[in-house]
Amino acid sequence: MVAKKSLGLAALAAGGAIAAGYRRRKAVRPGPAEWFAVTVDCDPGELSGENRPDALGRLAEHHEVRITPAPGGRGTEIAVHAADGKAREQVRALKQFLETGEVLRVEGQPEGHRTVLGRAAIPVSRQLMRRGVR
Amino acid sequence: MKALCWTGVNEVAVEEVPDPRILNRQDVIVRVTASSTCGSDLHLLDGYVPTMMAGDVIGHEFLGEVVETGPDVRDRRVGERVVVCSIIGCGRCRNCRAEMWSLCDNSNPDPGFLETLNGHATAGIFGYSHAMGGFAGSHAEYVRVPYGDVNAFPVPEGVPDASAVFASDAVPTGWMGADIAGIRPGDVVAVWGCGGVGQMAARAAFLLGAERVIAIDRFPERLEMTSRHTGAETLDYEKVDVLDALKEMTGGRGPDVCIEAVGMEGHGTGAQYAYDRVKQAVRLQTDRGLPLRQAIHACRKGGTVSVLGVYLGFVDKFPMGAVMNKGLTLRSGQQHGQRYIPMLLERMARGEVDASHLLTHPMALDDAPRGYEMFKNKEDGCVRAVFTP
Ligand SMILES: NC(=O)c1ccc[n+]([C@@H]2O[C@H](COP(=O)([O-])OP(=O)(O)OC[C@H]3O[C@@H](n4cnc5c(N)ncnc54)[C@H](O)[C@@H]3O)[C@@H](O)[C@H]2O)c1
Ligand SMILES: [Zn+2]
Ligand SMILES: [Zn+2]
Repeated sequence: MVAKKSLGLAALAAGGAIAAGYRRRKAVRPGPAEWFAVTVDCDPGELSGENRPDALGRLAEHHEVRITPAPGGRGTEIAVHAADGKAREQVRALKQFLETGEVLRVEGQPEGHRTVLGRAAIPVSRQLMRRGVR
Repeated sequence: MKALCWTGVNEVAVEEVPDPRILNRQDVIVRVTASSTCGSDLHLLDGYVPTMMAGDVIGHEFLGEVVETGPDVRDRRVGERVVVCSIIGCGRCRNCRAEMWSLCDNSNPDPGFLETLNGHATAGIFGYSHAMGGFAGSHAEYVRVPYGDVNAFPVPEGVPDASAVFASDAVPTGWMGADIAGIRPGDVVAVWGCGGVGQMAARAAFLLGAERVIAIDRFPERLEMTSRHTGAETLDYEKVDVLDALKEMTGGRGPDVCIEAVGMEGHGTGAQYAYDRVKQAVRLQTDRGLPLRQAIHACRKGGTVSVLGVYLGFVDKFPMGAVMNKGLTLRSGQQHGQRYIPMLLERMARGEVDASHLLTHPMALDDAPRGYEMFKNKEDGCVRAVFTP
């Protein structure tokens, strides 16, 4: 019983921190930026023409995508216009794939007994954290 | 298999859980032979790290044997005795390639919480909440290690398990604290906290050229251990006024380098400590920072404050005036272990670094709940309890 109560508290605290962060952000920024951008440690040439990765092609079907060399030889900036949660997840996965050759998985690891609340909350919070709040 | 799970604030339990599997092509599976408690776990236990879920396997400082390798693993071999860095790097992103491994862009697949809280996310960490990637921890019979080639390091033959296990976390963290502070020959270095991390920072400070090291804590056995094994002078902050004592010991200048190895649950005396506790309990501040403030206050003009203790969000009454007006340099970070581990294992093999005295309480994994209780309350001189499945 004690454990369940404290789990609830921890989850609340987490939610509270996200909400507080979100409010704080809203206060200083009038609205979310239009582009979601990541920098990938690769040459811009690796992302265009026949080299263009399929995942990037799929993103470009639904979103305007901007590819620019990063200053100081820091690779390539990929910016996606009006990226929703799903698109942000895809952009992050694309960066991981281009840099490391795979997309890291955490689903399917060992875990102990989950509470009913925890079992329901984990996929939801994971998706929220994977995509990020904007 | 058996594993130690977080089940709620100040509650852990040994449970039967599924064995880990290879989930990515660069994974290795390690059979754990030693897995240590760390001060960072206390922040989880005490409920100051949100995004913990009942059933999460904890533990991040460990040693073991490779028992399985994914198809894209090139260097690691089944049968190797390895120490695994507590913080996961991918080895390919720009930060990993610049040896800033704990800033890896790719090893935390779920960065959203930290991005909202801090602007950007930290690397993934074993057994350290869903905000840090939600990786199953090492207090278990087996653990899955992502990017096995870059995160698992073969241990030279002559190095005993009791020392090698701390090459995962406490030793490289302490080393990093001294390294990033840019210690120069003749420097006086003060270290707050005489746990495994503080002690290793004190040792590293000497090896990097410090002339004097002053270590601060309140537990007599930890102070005594630190002076015996690192050669540092010690101060008991419950017996002396630390700021006065440090001024006196440094001819009024203050230490050239101040290393904070305590973290967000810093203990203290007096009104400021009471204030911090209350605000943290009701979550008006996430972290309490008395030793951090003290380190900044004590540091000499133009000196460097190196923060190893873990903070997650906000500290109150941060003495920005002292940082600004004394022209201080602030350095910090989760440890970039992969940068230091091979060098540290070499030094262990040569006898220059030995961490085995930190292992005060070897225990069976079944006794881990008791081990955490002892470690948390510093009972029976416990500096680190290390579990063997
Ligand atoms: N940066 C990293 O990557 C990293 C890695 C490992 C640990 N850490 C952090 O380092 C810190 C220390 O870890 P540890 O394993 O040595 O923990 P520990 O709990 O064994 O030791 C902490 C010590 O700090 C002392 N302390 C408390 N308040 C103090 C004060 N006001 N002044 C001086 N000393 C005080 C305690 O008495 C204790 O001995 C923790 O915050 C931990 O999370 C960081
Ligand atoms: Zn640790
Ligand atoms: Zn990386």
